[in-house]
Amino acid sequence: MTLIRFKLSQEQDVDLSRTYDAVVVGSGAAGGMAAHVLTSQGMKVLLLEAGKKIPIEQELRSMEWPYDHPRRGEAPPGDHAIRYNEYTVRQPPYAKGSAFKHVFSYVGGWGGSDYVKNILVDEKDHPYTGTRYAWVRARLLGGKTNIWGRLALRLSDYDFKGKTHDGYGEDWPISYADLEPYYDKVDLYLGISGHKENLPHLPDSLFQRPNKLSAAEVKLRQSLKQMGRTLTPYRAGVTTDGVKNKYRSKCFGRGACGRRPGGCDIHAAFDSPTGLIYPAMDTGNLTLRTNAIAHEVLVDPKTGKARGISFVDAQNHKTYEAKAKVVVLAASTLESARLLLLSKSRQYPNGIGNTSGHVGHNFCEHVMGPGVTGLVKELVGTEPTLDDGKPGGFYVARFRNLEDKQPGFIRGYGFEGGSGFSIFPDSAWNTPGFGGQFKKSVRDHAGAFIGLGGFGEVLARYENYVDLDPEVKDAWGIPVLRFHYQFGDNEKKMCEDMANAGKEMLEAAGIEVIGVDKNILTEGWSIHELGTARMGNDPKTSVLNQFQQSHDVKNLFVVDGSSHVSASCQNPTWTIMALAWRSCEHLADEFKRGNV
Amino acid sequence: MTISRRDMIQATAAAMALPALAKAPSPSPKPLFFTPGEFALVDEMSDMIIPTDAQSGGARAAGVAAYIDGRLAEAFEKDEPQGWRAGIQAVEALSQEMHAKTFMGSTPEQRLALLTRIAAAESDPKTDAEKFFRTIKSGTIRAYYTSKIGIHDDQRYKGNVIQPGEYAGYDAT
Repeated sequence: MTLIRFKLSQEQDVDLSRTYDAVVVGSGAAGGMAAHVLTSQGMKVLLLEAGKKIPIEQELRSMEWPYDHPRRGEAPPGDHAIRYNEYTVRQPPYAKGSAFKHVFSYVGGWGGSDYVKNILVDEKDHPYTGTRYAWVRARLLGGKTNIWGRLALRLSDYDFKGKTHDGYGEDWPISYADLEPYYDKVDLYLGISGHKENLPHLPDSLFQRPNKLSAAEVKLRQSLKQMGRTLTPYRAGVTTDGVKNKYRSKCFGRGACGRRPGGCDIHAAFDSPTGLIYPAMDTGNLTLRTNAIAHEVLVDPKTGKARGISFVDAQNHKTYEAKAKVVVLAASTLESARLLLLSKSRQYPNGIGNTSGHVGHNFCEHVMGPGVTGLVKELVGTEPTLDDGKPGGFYVARFRNLEDKQPGFIRGYGFEGGSGFSIFPDSAWNTPGFGGQFKKSVRDHAGAFIGLGGFGEVLARYENYVDLDPEVKDAWGIPVLRFHYQFGDNEKKMCEDMANAGKEMLEAAGIEVIGVDKNILTEGWSIHELGTARMGNDPKTSVLNQFQQSHDVKNLFVVDGSSHVSASCQNPTWTIMALAWRSCEHLADEFKRGNV
Repeated sequence: MTISRRDMIQATAAAMALPALAKAPSPSPKPLFFTPGEFALVDEMSDMIIPTDAQSGGARAAGVAAYIDGRLAEAFEKDEPQGWRAGIQAVEALSQEMHAKTFMGSTPEQRLALLTRIAAAESDPKTDAEKFFRTIKSGTIRAYYTSKIGIHDDQRYKGNVIQPGEYAGYDAT
């Protein structure tokens, strides 16, 4: 395999005296998609990213062996990743008073933190307050897409029309039929790996070559079929056959994405810079400004429309203004909400776009933690096989509250899992004793485990919200978010069912259950925060319309996960991009007609 | 963004392992943190935990003690290296109590008797020497299975290779 590195054209000098057609805040999945769609429609776009552009390939070093790294992948002395027990016994801000030089979220502590120390934010500079929350943030070009988990799923009308189905919450102002063409566009433009299953609640994508399954996974898949449940190869936002994009390679099954917190130095896994932003820059219509921390949407006092963004330079701490005819926020669910709330003016005393009072509310995500580990006895002592050379393990589609009605909870959950040999025999930690017997036992069992963990829908509730802390500010003097967010009874009941269902599934497949985990991980752990500026048809109870356009300010759009009406149990990235594509196409049409 | 169950297990494992520590694991004749006596004890005990067998070299061959030493030498939290030192002293005290000899001055049978005794309480260690067994076992696991010998000779790991065609494994049918 030859990897050709393309030298990027120099970032265009940012001319802040001009008025751009649109300014986009944030360069992750949503912001990258906005930049792609708007520039391809001929609009002149300024993209603001709060973090810097880093030489990501040098950072990720996907194929580096542990023993070729001086600390076997761990971060330098003085760096600290917050541990599970710290999140549970303490309140944010978690880095307050810490003696460590740098403090990172829990993601900085697994599978090679040295590879993400320049990707994750330092919690010391980025505090937040309120209830416990494991908030994982990546401030750099591309945001969290640089290390995302790659599971790329579609939502269905079980999600978009959840209220119609079970009476809870609100329906989305769109249906699957509205979004399907845009899911297709995302699939074709970025590439996705998967296996067709024809499930109404987990619609198929336009798949490239699928992942393979391990022997244990085949066994579980066959057994689940008898129960009417579906184990499918991980649907990965990874191009396995290649896409027309000179910045990306197809996947070569190196398995680095499973060994590390994510990240792909050949960009077979989707990331926003190579998948969306660099091609958008090649149109000549995109200007990029990094180190630009947006802290206010500026308002024209005469028209009440947005006129641009005020931002602080992350390095020199000076404030600048970027002027644009349209403002598109894509800073992430929580950062976009923060930015709306920060943008107080005479016209918008509660923050721009917040006449409804719903900004920051209806905050939802996925709950995780419960799961099971099984031992496949016939695999003990077998020859090692290559089981992790692929972009993911497997996914078990939702099976609860589709046709049935569970007594304890509404909505559903899916499982993510993996099995087989990996670079490190995790079971060594739990193998008792020492000596030849211990060593042989670790070796014999290394490839015989299968594990799966649930991801469940957290109900959107008005009383789960974020607001601005009246006292605490970040390193740039910007007020920080304060969390008022907790899992409720529905989540707890669902989690009990997850653990039981996992156990039941392994047992039915004749796999010995060796571990049942019932603990719910700290709020935020799934890194799937959603819903702080939801869409809806009623401006009194929603922030955005079906095109992610502010009900109050017609040239203001919020195209990230904050717009989601409910969390579904399916991972959100592909939906974020399909929605942003649809909205930005609409935006460009309206812009051409002079309607925004 | 998602975290697979495997990642979760690794996260737990990482949390149980040594905290942020040290330098290149190059086998150094002169330890960076341990005294020569402490180094000899860690080297011997780690090799008793993961010994050489017909399949692969053990912890000594994999340079486990040197790796642990390097990490402890640059540890940011000083209670970590101090904890190792105190644990070694507890082992020495137990060795005196059991055999009236230092650990390294004991016979192989006596060392085995001591290790067997402190390992017996692995699931619920009470004494400092018993706690040290958990410490050194964790350190040994972490260092050994990230070493060349651990990954290639012992585990015969097949991954981290380029697969130009199909992925290894089975189709979903």
